[in-house]
Amino acid sequence: MPVLGVTTTVAGPVIEAALAAPVHPAQQPPPADPATGLALYVPLVLLFVLAAGFAIFSVVIAPFVGPRRYNRAKLDAYECGIEPSPQPIVGGGRMPVAYYLTAMLFILFDIEMVFLYPFAVSADALGVFGLVEIALFIITVGFAYVYVWRRGGLDWN
Amino acid sequence: MNVSTLTTVFAQGPVEAPAIDFAAVAPILIVFGGACLGVLVEAFFPRHTRWTWQVVLALLSIGTAGLAFGLYLREFTNPTTTLADRLAVDRPALFLWGTLIALALAAVLLIADRTIEPGGSFVAQAAVRAGSVQDHALNIAPGGTGPAGMRTEIFPLTLFALGGMMVFTAANDLLTMFIALEVLSLPLYLMCGLARRRRLLSQEAAVKYFLLGAFASAFFLYGLALLYGYAGSVKLTDIATATTAGDRSDTLLFVGLGLLVVGLMFKASVGPFHAWTPDVYQGAPTPVTAFMAACTKVAAFGAIVRVFHVAFQASSWEWRGVLWAIAIASMAIGAVLGLTQTDIKRMIAYSSIAHAGFLLVGALALTEEGRSATLFYLLAYGFTTLAVFGIISLVRDADGEATHLSQWAGLAKRSPVTAWVFTFLLLALAGIPLTSGFIGKFVVFTAAVQDGMAPLVVIALLMSAVAAFFYLRVVVLMFFSDPAPDGPTVTVPGVFTTVAITLGVLVTLLLGVYPAVALDWVGPGLAFAP
Amino acid sequence: MLTVVVFLPVVAGVLLLATPRLPDAVLRWCLVAVTAVELVLVMVLWADFPGAAGYRFEARVPWMPSIGVSYHVGLDGLALPLVAMTAVLFLACAVYSLRETRRVRAYVALLLFLETTAVGLFAALDLILFFLFFDLSIVGMYFVIAGWGHRDHRRAALQFFLYTFIGSLALLLGFIGLYLAADPHTFDIADLTASRPLDGAPLAGALVLLAVTVGLAIKTPLVPFHTWLPPAHTEAPAAGSALLAGVLLKMGTYGFVRIAMPVLPAAWRQYTVVFVVVGVVSVLYGALVALAQTDFKRMIAYTSVNHMGYIALAIGTAGIIAGNDAQARQLAVTGAVTQMVSHGLITGALFLLAGVFYDRARTYDMSSYSGLAGTAPRFAGLTAVGAFASLGLPGFSGFIAEFQIFTGSLGAQPVATALAVLGILVTAALFLLALQRVFLGQQRLPAYVPTFGDLRVAEFVAVAPLLSLALLIGVLPRFLLDTIERGAGAVVELVAR
Repeated sequence: MPVLGVTTTVAGPVIEAALAAPVHPAQQPPPADPATGLALYVPLVLLFVLAAGFAIFSVVIAPFVGPRRYNRAKLDAYECGIEPSPQPIVGGGRMPVAYYLTAMLFILFDIEMVFLYPFAVSADALGVFGLVEIALFIITVGFAYVYVWRRGGLDWN
Repeated sequence: MNVSTLTTVFAQGPVEAPAIDFAAVAPILIVFGGACLGVLVEAFFPRHTRWTWQVVLALLSIGTAGLAFGLYLREFTNPTTTLADRLAVDRPALFLWGTLIALALAAVLLIADRTIEPGGSFVAQAAVRAGSVQDHALNIAPGGTGPAGMRTEIFPLTLFALGGMMVFTAANDLLTMFIALEVLSLPLYLMCGLARRRRLLSQEAAVKYFLLGAFASAFFLYGLALLYGYAGSVKLTDIATATTAGDRSDTLLFVGLGLLVVGLMFKASVGPFHAWTPDVYQGAPTPVTAFMAACTKVAAFGAIVRVFHVAFQASSWEWRGVLWAIAIASMAIGAVLGLTQTDIKRMIAYSSIAHAGFLLVGALALTEEGRSATLFYLLAYGFTTLAVFGIISLVRDADGEATHLSQWAGLAKRSPVTAWVFTFLLLALAGIPLTSGFIGKFVVFTAAVQDGMAPLVVIALLMSAVAAFFYLRVVVLMFFSDPAPDGPTVTVPGVFTTVAITLGVLVTLLLGVYPAVALDWVGPGLAFAP
Repeated sequence: MLTVVVFLPVVAGVLLLATPRLPDAVLRWCLVAVTAVELVLVMVLWADFPGAAGYRFEARVPWMPSIGVSYHVGLDGLALPLVAMTAVLFLACAVYSLRETRRVRAYVALLLFLETTAVGLFAALDLILFFLFFDLSIVGMYFVIAGWGHRDHRRAALQFFLYTFIGSLALLLGFIGLYLAADPHTFDIADLTASRPLDGAPLAGALVLLAVTVGLAIKTPLVPFHTWLPPAHTEAPAAGSALLAGVLLKMGTYGFVRIAMPVLPAAWRQYTVVFVVVGVVSVLYGALVALAQTDFKRMIAYTSVNHMGYIALAIGTAGIIAGNDAQARQLAVTGAVTQMVSHGLITGALFLLAGVFYDRARTYDMSSYSGLAGTAPRFAGLTAVGAFASLGLPGFSGFIAEFQIFTGSLGAQPVATALAVLGILVTAALFLLALQRVFLGQQRLPAYVPTFGDLRVAEFVAVAPLLSLALLIGVLPRFLLDTIERGAGAVVELVAR
């Protein structure tokens, strides 16, 4: 229920309000013809293309341009700089399930943050109702956090 | 830009808080609250006290929710919507809430039982590899009520699923319905994998259910998106208005409707979207199967009826033919494939697919009689199925449940009471008079014939006769075959299971002999909320 | 009062089931006692039955008002003789079952349950109530055959159940059609008879009549749908066969005169020739196939098909209005109902007698026996009496019934009637052949049987009254015909509207 409250009461009005807000004329140079609709996203697409291009270029050009010096350590798996933990020969390279758990927990609480942003921005307009709603939301996700904490999901081992 | 720009850019008037009818929504809130408290119990309470507290909490939550529901019922007059028009509170929704609460109570009693399987039917520690020495010591060795006990997360999971089901049946727009679908499905995926015995099968069932369920939810979502594109709104009534307006692209409507229907039919285990049902019913722990077979079907068909009758009634002449075909396919698959089964849980799963076909026939009758008939059938079928699985969990041998049909031979000699009760329940599923199953089928078929679907009813009657065969086969096996010398025995059930099975049998009998109790309530004035 | 008569057996059955540690003998005698009390009550009802037309002992209680179903029971001139015949036959079977030793408690309870379903069906005046008892009788008989039958009993029971269950579903479809056509929607037979909802809609009426007919024709059974009967009869225990033939088959024919004819008169009149044809075919087919049988029980099963064919012929001609006067039609319907009663008594007796074969030598094969009249004279005598009664010898009820049927049908359908009379010739031939083969000539028994004992007391006391009753009706039919004629007259009038 809090999730519903947040999405409907926060996201909707916020987006509509943001798009419809008037801008103070004296602070703005005479506006160029504002881009509308999908054209708004062209800069974004351009940036994405540039970034992808840079990344791909870097990776592709490296074997051709860089020096070739063989070192066995370079073929090991990278594990944040520490010695990679030995993998069992049978069943080939199982990852410790702790990685999976951590990733899952990250996603859960990251999404919680995603919902907190719109609330934070329009907390003013949402008043007490919004405050109570978001508090309930945080508490509900907090239950999950408490469970994970007490059940040892946050212990690395 | 300075701060004042920012504030003016994002400034807006205060947002009005939506009106919430707390009295109406109280049952759902209580169930969810109970589930959250259950999670806290899991987190903080020491292991050996968890079971007691969880059972108390679960039963208390459902009981209080039932009480709140009853109190609201007494002052309920007109259908309304609440929570900013997201939730519809009308007679169908209230009927389904009552049904779900009652069925969930019985299901929790089955789940909580620790006398049939020492320590409970659920695994003590799921993270242990199935079949290993550790697994045997922790999970399967008798006397598992020690430190290992059972995974008590199942109780809050059940409550979450129940809450999701209640919202699913009362959702007034497709987005709420989708969220509720996920809320009810995710706990079920987990619950299917927690069996103490035959753990690999159970985990396989859970993975299958999860994968196929995720696909089906995706279909639902795509359909939802297309319908939003068609109607400009996700609200069911707005979609209905858009279909009557007639100047929009019909392609969007029908593709969206098709995808939506796939998602809904999957949940309701209607053939040909039934592929998960036999494997999941067989693999899941039997109390969870009981919960799924009863409550999920109630919830799914509640949503199907709402979607068809509110949103798509105007365009019905275009999509009805396809759904006829789906209903026929479901009944045929369930009846015919059920004949070849050798495992009793799979057999009941196929029979539930056939019953889903019958229910779909009722849902297709877009009249008030069709609605009331479908809802009554759901009530009758839910209790019968719950009791059936309750009894299946009683027939055990040294390795756990004896679900192969050959092991059920001659059961009447070992335990006549169980055999007679099971016979009564099977006859109820077959639709013999004096049982609720007959009344359910009867009102559904009457409503369908009245709405001009007589050929469909003829096919349904034929499929009923075919399905009756495999019910009878079990009866013959139990009464007129010789038992194997080292065959299974019927465990004497503890209090919880006895109460659950008795409740199921009594409701089946009561609704068969005196159905006016439910029919009158669900009959007249079954309008949906505007 | 009627409700007591309907439910007394099942209540007694439940009490007997629930009481622990009752010895078998006590259970068997309780069965006899309860069925005897039932018969006495039915006699009381009959004595109190006035001559006027219409339903007596009516009781009507709304049961499911939102779908127009009520508990409505009542007896008229058609139902009362059938109820009486049911009571008599159940008492006879109860006496016969004094020799039953297998799982007596369940057997007694099932028989009492079956009696309630039978009496309830004949007394029912509401379509769903009728259907309820119809289906429950199928369930009860299924358990009797599957639990106490002979070699292939499971398959025969399953075939019986599935076939008749499909028929009952077709019947339900027809009932739903009638309900929806009625305005206001109701399942009450009396109301539907008065309002005749489908008279103005020939296609709908024909379809509903087809559905109802298929359901009832499977139960009766009439020729294309009769294939479940011979296996069910040969594998059922003796008392089970007697009840199946005597009571359950009548449910089908009773359904025709109670429901199909009064509620769908226009459709009936239009398609009545079909029943004439089916009747004649059943008569001849049943008789000819019976002639070819070597299994005694199977032979009698096929004669049941034959006898039901006469009933179909009669009710078929009762629907022919043109060129047929009311008196002939009434005669035909009276004959049909009399045949129902008569067939119940006589064929019930014959099946109980057939049970003697199985009891002594475990085989019904007629070629295994010869010259039994020497060692079992009473048995031979009663069987001969039964055989002659069954083929319609004057002096027995069968003759009264068949005579009325032929007289009533001759005017409207002379050819059909003539063909049907041929059936009597064939039946006579087959019974005489059977009697000669089994009872006369050199004595010869199956190899493993040292002697063939004569009728025991229980068997004799069970069968003799049935045949005596058949004789009584054959000689002094007035008491029966008085009751039937009123009801038959009403039916004939209703069909002619």
